[in-house]
Amino acid sequence: MLDLADAVIIGGGINGLSVAYNLARLGLRKVRVLEKNYLASGATGRCGAGVRQQWGTEMNISLARASIKKFEVMNDELGYYRDIEFKQKGYLMLAYTGKQLEQFQKNVVLQRSLGVPVSLITPAEAGGIVPHLNTEGLLGATFCPEDGHVNPFHAAEAYALAAKRLGVEIHPFTEVQAILVEDGRVRGVLTAAGTVATPIVVNTAGGYSAEVSRMAGVEIPTYSERHQILVTEPVEPLQGPMVISFYHGIYCQQTPHGSFIMGQGDPNEPKGHDLGHSWQFLTEVARKVTWLLPPLKGLRLVRQWSGSYNMTPDAQPIIGEAAEVKGFFLAVGFSGHGFMLAPMTGQLLAEKILGLPTTLPIDMLGLERFARGELIREPSVV
Amino acid sequence: MRIKDHPILDFPQGKKVTFYFEDQVLEGYEGEPIAAALHDAGIRVLRESQVLHRPRGFFCAIGNCSSCLMVVDGVPNVRVCVEKLRAGMTVRRQKGKGDLFASN
Repeated sequence: MLDLADAVIIGGGINGLSVAYNLARLGLRKVRVLEKNYLASGATGRCGAGVRQQWGTEMNISLARASIKKFEVMNDELGYYRDIEFKQKGYLMLAYTGKQLEQFQKNVVLQRSLGVPVSLITPAEAGGIVPHLNTEGLLGATFCPEDGHVNPFHAAEAYALAAKRLGVEIHPFTEVQAILVEDGRVRGVLTAAGTVATPIVVNTAGGYSAEVSRMAGVEIPTYSERHQILVTEPVEPLQGPMVISFYHGIYCQQTPHGSFIMGQGDPNEPKGHDLGHSWQFLTEVARKVTWLLPPLKGLRLVRQWSGSYNMTPDAQPIIGEAAEVKGFFLAVGFSGHGFMLAPMTGQLLAEKILGLPTTLPIDMLGLERFARGELIREPSVV
Repeated sequence: MRIKDHPILDFPQGKKVTFYFEDQVLEGYEGEPIAAALHDAGIRVLRESQVLHRPRGFFCAIGNCSSCLMVVDGVPNVRVCVEKLRAGMTVRRQKGKGDLFASN
C-alpha cells in the first residue's frame, strides 16, 4: 500500500464508493477506499433495494429525486458492463388511519411542489395499480410511478469499477485501526497494512459510523439498529410497485429477477451490531404480507438476513465536515435510506470536500444541528 | 426404472394409483416422490431452464437444487423429488419461473 493519499474513505458500501467516484471525477488524484470486509458487505448489500422520492421532508425529497435522476442514467454515466436493474414501477404507500392519511396529504403537497409526480389515490385506485392488494380497511394511498428498485450489488459494483478506472484504489479486507489527528486536523489513518498519510478522511462506515468517528475523537449521535428482511423464490412478474404499509410496518416488492423482498420495522429489535435473525420475524411478516397481498401465500422463502439501520435522532443523515477536526468528513446516519440517496450523497460530499459550491444545499445536514437543536425530523421511515 | 432391493433402505409401497403427466396417464405408488414415478415411467426431462431454455432433469433428489421444479395441480415451483404422489394429480413440465396467479 502506498503511504500517501489525497483522501481516504473508510467504508466500501455504496456511499463510500459513490464519494470516491465523485472525488476522482472532480479531479482529486489519490483516493483510497478502505473496507474492513468486502464491498457492499454491510447495509448496502443487506438493504431492501427500494428507491423512492416519497419522503416527508424537503431535504430527503430533493436528495431522493436527484438520486433517482442519476439512477436513470447510471449504466451509461458509470459505463457499467452489466445492468443496475433500475425498475421504475412505483411505490404504493398505504394509509390505514386518519393520522397517516393526513401525513400523506401533507407529504404529497410538499413532494409535488418539488416536482415529484406523486398522487393521493383512493383504495379502489390502489387496487387498480396492484390488483392482488387486499384493500380491506384501506383509507387511501399515495403512488409515485418513478420510484422503484435498484440492485444494490450491481450499483455498488458500477461505482467501484468506475472509480477504479479513474484511479481510485480500493482495498477490501483492510480495517482502519486508528485515525491520526494532530492540532485539530486529520493527518492519516493506521491499518494493519501500514499507515496512510492523508489530509482528508471520510467516514462512510454505515453501521459502524459512531466507532469510526470516535477514532478521530468526534462523538456523533448515531446508533445502529437491526432490521430483518427476507427473499422468496422467483416467479413470473406479478407485482409492479413496492407496497409499503406504515400501519403494518412492512414493505414488499418484487425484484426484476422475480423474487420478492420484504421486511418490517420492529421497535423491539435490538440496538447495536447484532446481525442475527429470528423465526418470529418470519411468522409476523408472513402473516401480514399474506393478508395484504394474498397470492404471495404460495411463495416459498429462500433466505432471511438482517442489516443495520444507522439511526440519527431525526432520521436524517449527517453529511458534512466535523467542526472540531478539520479534514474529517461524514456521510452517515442514513436511518434506513442510505442506499437510495447514495448517488447525490457522493456528489454533494465530494463537492463539499473540494470546496466547490454544492449542487443542492446540505449545510443543514451538518453534525452541529444536534447541538443547536435544529433537527429536521423525517416522519416516513419504515 | 425402479430400485426394488437396496442393502439398507426399504421401499414400502403404497397402493398403485394413476396420475397425469402432460397428456399421458401414468401409474405410480401412492406416497412415493412424484419424481420416482416419473423416473420409472421413463420421463427424464422435468422442466426447462429459465434463461437458455435447456432441459433439466432429476438431480439432487433431496429438495435442494431446483432442477425438478414442476407445475403440480396448477401450482408452480413444486419440488417433485420431495412431493408425495397422490391419485389423480396433474403434473406438467415448468417453463419459466412459474405463474402464481395460475394456481389461484
